[in-house]
Amino acid sequence: MDLLLILLTVFPLVSALPLMLPIKAFDSRKTVWSYALLSTLVSLLFSLIVLYKFDFTNTGAMQLATSLSWVDAFGLNFGFGIDSISLWLVLLTTFLMPIIILSSLTAIKTRVREFYFWLIVLETFMIGTFVATDILFFYVCFELTLVPLYILIGVFGSDKRKRVEAAKIFFLYTFTGSMLTFAGVMYVAWFNTMLPTHLFAAAGTWSFDIQTLYLAAANMSLTEQSWVLGALLAGFAVKVPLFPVHTWLPLAHTEAPTAGSVILAGVLLKLGTYGLLRFALPMCPQAVVEYAWLIGIFAVLGVLVTALICWVQTDVKKLIAYSSVSHLGFCVLGLFALDADNTGAVGAVMYMINHGLSTGALFLCIGMIYERFHTREMADMSGLGRAIPAWASFTVFFVLASVGLPGLNGFIGEFLTLLGAFLSPANVLGYEYAAIAGLGMILAAIYLLYMVGKIIFGPLKVPDVHNDDGTHDLKDLNTREIATLLPLAAACLILGMLPNGMLNSLQAPVEQLTYSAKAVATQANDTFVTDANATPLRLAIDDHTPEFAPGIAPQLTDPTHAPLTKTAHRAAER
Amino acid sequence: MPETVMNSLTLSHFLMTGAILFCLGLVGFITRRNLIIMFLCTEMMFQGVVVTLVAFSRFHLNDTGQTFVIFVLTIAAAEAALALGLVVLLFRRKGTLDSLVWSQLSG
Amino acid sequence: MPIELIKLIPWIPLLGAVLCAVCCMKPAWRKAAGPISVLSIFIPFLITCGVYSAASGLQGDDKVQTIYQWMSVGGFSVNMGYFIDPLTMIMLFVVTGIGSLIATYAMGYMKGERGYARFFMGVSLFIFAMTTLVMADNLVLLYLGWEGVGLCSYLLIGYYYEKPEAVAAAKKAFIVNRIGDLGFALGIFLTYMTYDTVSLSVVTSKAVAFLSDPNYIATSADLWIPFLLMLGAFGKSAQIPLYVWLPDAMAGPTPVSALVHAATMVTAGVYMIARLIPVFQLSPYALPTVATIGGITALFAGTIALCQYDLKKVFAYSTVSQLGYMFLGVGALSSFGGIFHLFTHAFFKALLFLTAGSVMHALAGQLDLRAMSGLRKKMPVTCWLMFAGCLALAGFPFTAGFFSKDTILAEAMVRGTGEHGSNLYFFLALMGLLTALLTAFYTFRLWFRVFMGPEHFEMGDDHGHSDDDAHGDDHSHAHEPHEMPWWPMNIPLVVLAFGAIFAGMIVHWTGWMEHSIETSTAQPAIALNIQTDPQPTPAYEIITVSNTTDTHDTATEHPAAATGHSAEHDRAHGIHILMMWISSFIALLGIGLAAYFHWLNRPLTDKVAAKFGMVVEVLYNKYYIDEFYDLVIVKPLRTLGHGFYRFDQAVIHGLVITVGYIPRLAGWSIQPTQSGKMQGYGLGMVLGVAIAALLVFKWAF
Repeated sequence: MDLLLILLTVFPLVSALPLMLPIKAFDSRKTVWSYALLSTLVSLLFSLIVLYKFDFTNTGAMQLATSLSWVDAFGLNFGFGIDSISLWLVLLTTFLMPIIILSSLTAIKTRVREFYFWLIVLETFMIGTFVATDILFFYVCFELTLVPLYILIGVFGSDKRKRVEAAKIFFLYTFTGSMLTFAGVMYVAWFNTMLPTHLFAAAGTWSFDIQTLYLAAANMSLTEQSWVLGALLAGFAVKVPLFPVHTWLPLAHTEAPTAGSVILAGVLLKLGTYGLLRFALPMCPQAVVEYAWLIGIFAVLGVLVTALICWVQTDVKKLIAYSSVSHLGFCVLGLFALDADNTGAVGAVMYMINHGLSTGALFLCIGMIYERFHTREMADMSGLGRAIPAWASFTVFFVLASVGLPGLNGFIGEFLTLLGAFLSPANVLGYEYAAIAGLGMILAAIYLLYMVGKIIFGPLKVPDVHNDDGTHDLKDLNTREIATLLPLAAACLILGMLPNGMLNSLQAPVEQLTYSAKAVATQANDTFVTDANATPLRLAIDDHTPEFAPGIAPQLTDPTHAPLTKTAHRAAER
Repeated sequence: MPETVMNSLTLSHFLMTGAILFCLGLVGFITRRNLIIMFLCTEMMFQGVVVTLVAFSRFHLNDTGQTFVIFVLTIAAAEAALALGLVVLLFRRKGTLDSLVWSQLSG
Repeated sequence: MPIELIKLIPWIPLLGAVLCAVCCMKPAWRKAAGPISVLSIFIPFLITCGVYSAASGLQGDDKVQTIYQWMSVGGFSVNMGYFIDPLTMIMLFVVTGIGSLIATYAMGYMKGERGYARFFMGVSLFIFAMTTLVMADNLVLLYLGWEGVGLCSYLLIGYYYEKPEAVAAAKKAFIVNRIGDLGFALGIFLTYMTYDTVSLSVVTSKAVAFLSDPNYIATSADLWIPFLLMLGAFGKSAQIPLYVWLPDAMAGPTPVSALVHAATMVTAGVYMIARLIPVFQLSPYALPTVATIGGITALFAGTIALCQYDLKKVFAYSTVSQLGYMFLGVGALSSFGGIFHLFTHAFFKALLFLTAGSVMHALAGQLDLRAMSGLRKKMPVTCWLMFAGCLALAGFPFTAGFFSKDTILAEAMVRGTGEHGSNLYFFLALMGLLTALLTAFYTFRLWFRVFMGPEHFEMGDDHGHSDDDAHGDDHSHAHEPHEMPWWPMNIPLVVLAFGAIFAGMIVHWTGWMEHSIETSTAQPAIALNIQTDPQPTPAYEIITVSNTTDTHDTATEHPAAATGHSAEHDRAHGIHILMMWISSFIALLGIGLAAYFHWLNRPLTDKVAAKFGMVVEVLYNKYYIDEFYDLVIVKPLRTLGHGFYRFDQAVIHGLVITVGYIPRLAGWSIQPTQSGKMQGYGLGMVLGVAIAALLVFKWAF
């Protein structure tokens, strides 16, 4: 029994409690802030210990696994375990948290205790979702992340009138979606209890262990898988957010305080893509292959439509918020590419991390501007490069990372996801998706450089400045602000130039998660190739056998019963 | 009490008495608007149930029912004290015992 | 010098850029940025020279120098590695050599600017990206350099970021380049799909193997890859339809125009096509398309250059036009011609831009040809330096431009005549000759206008670099044009002028570059039987003509092997000699016309111009292409954006809100049952119990 992951998960929650106790010292804003910073730094330390103890020769396995029983009768456990996908996402979380707290010193002046309390509590739930090996435990954490963020937006948001509305819409929208996800999860668990016990160890009993449910789900028919996929998508696609269920995001972002926006863009959106990767792909492989084209179309539409929407925004924060929708379209495209080498899915995981860093940093930059000017309208400011050069340099840097400039982190994810979509078998996605989504690269340059041109370049124009101390002269970044941005910039650069360690570690777990879906796709594709005349483009994927034992042997009861005619027909049209 | 009468009394008589008491209480509760009367009606419903309990207890020669009656009576007494206090408070607020003035729950 | 040093070449400028960035932080440190930057470019130049012979002689696997693995997923693996062959060395020579000269000049030119350190950071970063581009051993690393130079171009064009037109130009450059880059990226994807690797050496050798296999049937991927890559080349090298950004890019400081937008970055497309020429040969339509676009762009931009009044704009369009020549060269299967012209062009165009910069500097930012005349006396050195550049650009006999342009035109003519000749190349060669006439004319129009005739000038309104104490010594004669100091400004120009006059002769008579190209991947593997009007070949069955069946054309590509085919060789040689005579005549004609119209008889010119007012107007406004793009692409997209935003708010979010109203409506519908009367609830309870009891009875008994 390894307590490290439990400690990592629970520590923030425990350390947050004193903030709500009547302790005199916490009446001072600075003390509370220091305490919160210390707490998140300790969490970071724990996650670094996890990183140290993580065995990189076996990244696909759930390491440091441990389990606490919850309700034995229903097979409910608090299962903890970490593979490299979770590891990197946990590190992203613990890395962002101190930065967020560092950035909030001057931004939050009222109800300081509550603010940091909920922020730290949120960290527990975020880590919990990533380390959970029990689907209900995952689900509980997934849902509980809503509560702190609801409060962070509703109480600490920018506009008194709109923030409550935004928080409400955020909560109800995502909650409604995830209720359906819950139904899907419960169906799979119930399905497991109905299975004959000889199939595998936990068959025929109540169990919420993810690995068990993979095995169970593999026995579902295409219809069942499709419904489960639909249910999972209802929760995860809203969270991602995938076009057209994205409208809560710009609202929530514009009203959220900077810290909330950074967390939202940096980590919470990734819960959606993480969920798709962890649950949708391995649990409903046939349905994924069957409906990948539809998801792909929505992803591509999302990339292009929201990119164009970004271009006409006047509020900087809203622009970045919409850009998240556009960017995560690439990520979803990569997840559902199912190409032989997992280029797309590995790229998508990279994309999650990179988007968290660069977009999170952009929200921080905008927050710094908002603190100074109390406005985010592009029309109100111009030529800030002259007035606050350090801020401008950082912003341009993160904009370039976000645009996907090679050498910075954004490029790796974008390139690999597009390459994955391009190499995707014709019955899953295909090169046309990559070609069209690629237009998003151009549009990203258009809208982000439009923003840079408007606010950083051009003749100097500065709105009224309201400093903390009542002075009105515009100050460039102070040491604390540079300390918030510098680690992010360094991470962007390092991941851009040396992404290979992360990429290599991701291949094994991603292969396990995509293995069965790829097997279905290959099968369908082979049927297609023998049907139609050989296509001149070398699109067929090689027979691929994973080098390691896959955690989920595809247990299709009858591989031929998957009705692939529709897929084949669609592919033949190409 | 003459034996014959005793003999002619069956369980149904007691149950009937309990049911009549309960229904009278119920009708009173629904039709009357005076808070005190409504409260008394609920007490009457209690008594209806209590009679039934005692009757079954005697019929089955099982003491549980009668024990339960003791509990009910105790609770009823406590509740009566509390409820009458509440009624007094309500009366002080609005100066009337009409239940219709307390309809804030109206949607 | 050990060959391993070559791995350091890109990283030294990167280090320089980092140091310059540090210099940005304190005003006192700013002055150090210039020397740091120049050193960070000059040291790689020394390394290039030092390892030149060793690097050119590398064989086989030694050509690939890997530093580390950049990224790998499954079979997709990209190294941070360099591919060193003679072509790389030529490009490195141009990039670092011309780069250090221009950076030296810029030390003087940018003196006293507020963004002095920022400028040199951009320059060093640019050299990092550009050297990476030309040294990359795989397409993805090449793409890194490719986008990297685009970024530096963006930052440097936007150097004067307070001027809205500079910001707009920077944005336009980046975005138009991105359009090409998308094509390039898709080309990389398709290349990986087809060749299972992105390594340049493997891709080219596989393509050569395909080409030399007579039974090889080209796939549709082979057909598409060159067109996708071409799009990238057209974007970066400013060819139709993606040329629009380059003239606007002149909003940047002049050294940037010289370095990035004339000598190095814009030639990346030519380099890329030359580097991958076997891949382009696999598609029978690719190289003719390249040549056609090149030829058309050359003529088109040449005509626009005729009627521009902005000094730098003239040179910008001339650059577009000369790049067109280079594309014509590689498109005519003469990657030697293309690279040769790239090489000479780097010298004379850098020289021209820098001398134009000197004029601009002297006249406080004045760039309008109409506002200056007869500056010969005021700026004698600049005058004659620019004269040397103009001679080379105009193709005056025995200058650098003469030889390289002639090589391209002659190769096109060789391809356009003879028994395998195609009409397309014949016409392209004629267009090239016409462009040569235009080039000579507009080049000397500018020179005669600026330096000859009566002395007259109006100072510009640029006080950009006189408001700083570092430039204090200029205050005394700020109202008079003055000659530039020898160091650091005119000495680099003299070197460039030397190159502009003699580089062509050296290359032509020693033959080292031709030899270098032959031993690099840029050598066309075998000549194709290029059809002007494509035969109705089935799209997926394009037969490439193999070595054995087409020895005639091969002969022209392999002079060494041509001894056996002297007839064809003689024909090519004859055409070369003939074209030399024709283009000499054309150059002299153009110069003569320019002298007559713009020096000796300017009033007549004005009359002629007035007579053709419409034409001049259209040319002056660059055929209204910018307005056309704005109307057809930018405006509709923006309208679409607004439309989508409204749709998003009204329909998509509206739907969500509507769905949110469903529970509320349901609530309203049962709201009357909640009367708030206690008896009502009591009755409801009774009824509920009654119904429940009934149901229980129904099922129980």
